[in-house]
Amino acid sequence: MKRSVFLLLIAPGILLLTIFLFYPLVVTLAPTFSNNGPSLARYLAFFSDSYYLAVFFRTVWIAVVATLVCMILGVPTAYFISRRRRSKSFLMALSIFPLLTNPVVRAFAWINILGRNGVLNSLLLSWGWITTPLTLLYTDFSILIGTIYLFLPLMIVTLVGSMDTIEEEVTEAAESLGASRLVTFFKVVLPLSLPGIVVGSVLVFTGAITAYSTPNLLGGNKNMLLATLIYQRAMSLADWTSAGVIAFVMIVMTVVTVMVMQKVSRRLDRR
Amino acid sequence: MRKSVGLTLIAVVVFLFLTVPLIIITATAFGEASTIRFPIQGFTLKWFTATFASRSFMSSLGLSFALASYATLLALLVGIPASYALSKTTFRTNPRLRAFFLSPTFVPGIVVGYALFQFLVIQWRMPVFAGLLLGHFLVSLPYVIRVVGASLEQFDFSIEEVAWSLGCNKPKAFLKVVLPNIGSGIVAAFMLSFINSFNNIPVSMFLTGPGVSTLPTTLMNYIEYSYDPSVSAISVVLMGVTVVLMVIVERTLGIGSLAK
Amino acid sequence: MSYAVLENIRVSYDGKTPVLTDLNLSIERGELVSLLGASGCGKTTTLRVVGGFIEPRAGRFTLNGVDMTRTAVHKRNFGLVFQSYALFPHLTVFENVAFGLKLRKIESASLKSRVMAMLDITDLGALANRYPRQLSGGQRQRVALARALVVEPQLLLLDEPLSNLDAKLRLSMRVEIKRLQKKLGITTIFVTHDQEECFSISDRVAIMDKGVIQQFDTPEAIYSHPANEFVARFVGFTNFFNLTASGTGRCLNNLGEEMVIDEIRNHTGGQTSWTGAIRPDDIVLTGTEVSGTNRLTGSVEVRTFLGKSYQYELETKLGRVVVNAPKDSIFEPGTLVCAHLPSDKIVLC
Repeated sequence: MKRSVFLLLIAPGILLLTIFLFYPLVVTLAPTFSNNGPSLARYLAFFSDSYYLAVFFRTVWIAVVATLVCMILGVPTAYFISRRRRSKSFLMALSIFPLLTNPVVRAFAWINILGRNGVLNSLLLSWGWITTPLTLLYTDFSILIGTIYLFLPLMIVTLVGSMDTIEEEVTEAAESLGASRLVTFFKVVLPLSLPGIVVGSVLVFTGAITAYSTPNLLGGNKNMLLATLIYQRAMSLADWTSAGVIAFVMIVMTVVTVMVMQKVSRRLDRR
Repeated sequence: MRKSVGLTLIAVVVFLFLTVPLIIITATAFGEASTIRFPIQGFTLKWFTATFASRSFMSSLGLSFALASYATLLALLVGIPASYALSKTTFRTNPRLRAFFLSPTFVPGIVVGYALFQFLVIQWRMPVFAGLLLGHFLVSLPYVIRVVGASLEQFDFSIEEVAWSLGCNKPKAFLKVVLPNIGSGIVAAFMLSFINSFNNIPVSMFLTGPGVSTLPTTLMNYIEYSYDPSVSAISVVLMGVTVVLMVIVERTLGIGSLAK
Repeated sequence: MSYAVLENIRVSYDGKTPVLTDLNLSIERGELVSLLGASGCGKTTTLRVVGGFIEPRAGRFTLNGVDMTRTAVHKRNFGLVFQSYALFPHLTVFENVAFGLKLRKIESASLKSRVMAMLDITDLGALANRYPRQLSGGQRQRVALARALVVEPQLLLLDEPLSNLDAKLRLSMRVEIKRLQKKLGITTIFVTHDQEECFSISDRVAIMDKGVIQQFDTPEAIYSHPANEFVARFVGFTNFFNLTASGTGRCLNNLGEEMVIDEIRNHTGGQTSWTGAIRPDDIVLTGTEVSGTNRLTGSVEVRTFLGKSYQYELETKLGRVVVNAPKDSIFEPGTLVCAHLPSDKIVLC
């Protein structure tokens, strides 16, 4: 292919991305690095403000716990799916369906379950396990549940893709050498799916620190995360600089996570 | 296949966790009470008729549909030639170019929305729809690059060379030989990009304007202020659309094509 | 009682179409038995029943008198080698071979010496710290073999172990397998679709088709006395013709001509019709017409060069006949030739 044709084919994408993504980002974020001249003062201020710090750490904490839970539940489930034959595509469809369902709908589902008059409280009350309804909604707990619910299917689908590349004969070989199912899982399947687990975890973690609708609907005004905070600063308070600072912090968190995990993943993948 | 009890148990719990909330929503859409109750009392379709009669829901549904279609088409128009160029050549800069095309995935949606809001809406005073379209295009492009790129990697380019040797010019060979053979990749990219644009919240949050709102943002604002089964009814409609799309994909490409 | 015995094994994946129907097979201790057949004949299924990966719907599998039909795979202590090698990609050669011994809680000094001894036997000592992806196909195959053998299995199961190797390597590996198998005295089941490979290596061969063992015998016996037409085709008979009895020890072909067949003496039962078969190599071609028994006249349709010989397709009154004839006399397509079917080379099945 001639270089001119090549350039012609990629030019529209390059131009659109430059004009409508990178230029706006630079224009929006540049002011956060100046305070009568180049300065990191706004970032220092952000990280010394106890409210911002609390939001930052709540975001990270929820993302970490959600990632771990998705990992712990996702790995065995994905292994279960990848070793089915007839029911496999049905189970995959069942995992993909929530993924394609609107996040607002998915958060709404948990409002119905966790609310004061929600399904869970009514069940517990009718069984007599509690006497007054529990406050489950608009807490860190409800954000966490919603986040896990949002990203567990993503973890499962990613892991099934990774586990499908493990030949069945390899696990059979392990069994024939005397490894029980459980030992085969821990000694063969788990090490071989580590790269997939890393990829899935990155997707869940970066997704969790940037998700908007779930913390907005399940967290309420008191339990802000970075994504809801940025919207509130910008739209309700017209505090453009804080919004820009938060935006840049989120970009850095995403990029750093992806880069670190790429390094880790390359080291883990010994195949 | 012999079964392992522990594994089966975990999988059952996980699938219950994934499906029960959606089943509950579905059930509550048919309850007669004016607030959401589960288990439901009575059976009615009035929330569905109310939804279809609501002008704000219907107009936002139309907007979301148009937006997802146009954004996806734009992403395909821009993304397919770029993927083709990247897979046909081996320039040293190609990996970096590919990363550039995928870069919107590294920028949180809410940040994309915020930057575009500052730039397009406040500075340029662009029409709301144009802003939304550009934002959704940015969200869609990486799907196209990734999925179409993957199917071009599988494509045997000697077939294209055969077409040239038979007297087909290059644009024609691309249209008649390359495109049909990466068709499944394009359909998968279309579906993924359409659904993700249709469901998108963070980008749209900043870019919707007075009277112009996508369905997810309308739904979200509605949920924040009121709590009645019409939200369940809309959810059921949305899930129904998802089911239809999944059935189409399953019949044409196999459901696995969305998981790549 | 034989060492490994399959009795009335029945397998069906969907409950309707049978994969194996009442399969019986007895293997003696120290024997190398091959399962030979085209893909889909049930040979791999049989091996997987023995290995414990498939539970048969009916039947029994015993080893040394112990019923193992429902024993879990990891408790059988069988060595298994796959066509794809199925090495653990995340482990080194040493760790691959040590995998089974570690599970058996062998203490580390003796584990190390046993693994190294096995690596030496299989000529892998220098590669102990490599990963599978750094090995050639033949080396991977030897690792797979070493990994299966080091645990001193009660039974060695080989599923098309040579199919992914190139022709030259395949030849040397099969000698290698035979040597190791005899040296260690391990009872072995070998699955393959390659007739030559199978005959060269096996003590006995079971030829399978449609989930049924068609013949189970030594390679020599199968080669010279195929039990039926399927087996005959499988071992290189290409020419078949119908025969009917005409008195004791005699028979007629379709044209009513008498054919002399030595083997008919062994068929003294009440049978009145057979299929006669002969290999292309065993037919003698002459240019001039010679009258007499077991002679057929035909015209040359196609001639192809095989290297050592020419192959001719003849059109005769008995139908199409394929003959391999030496290079010294060449017949052009269209000429009439005479084919002699020696009476000692015709088999009945």
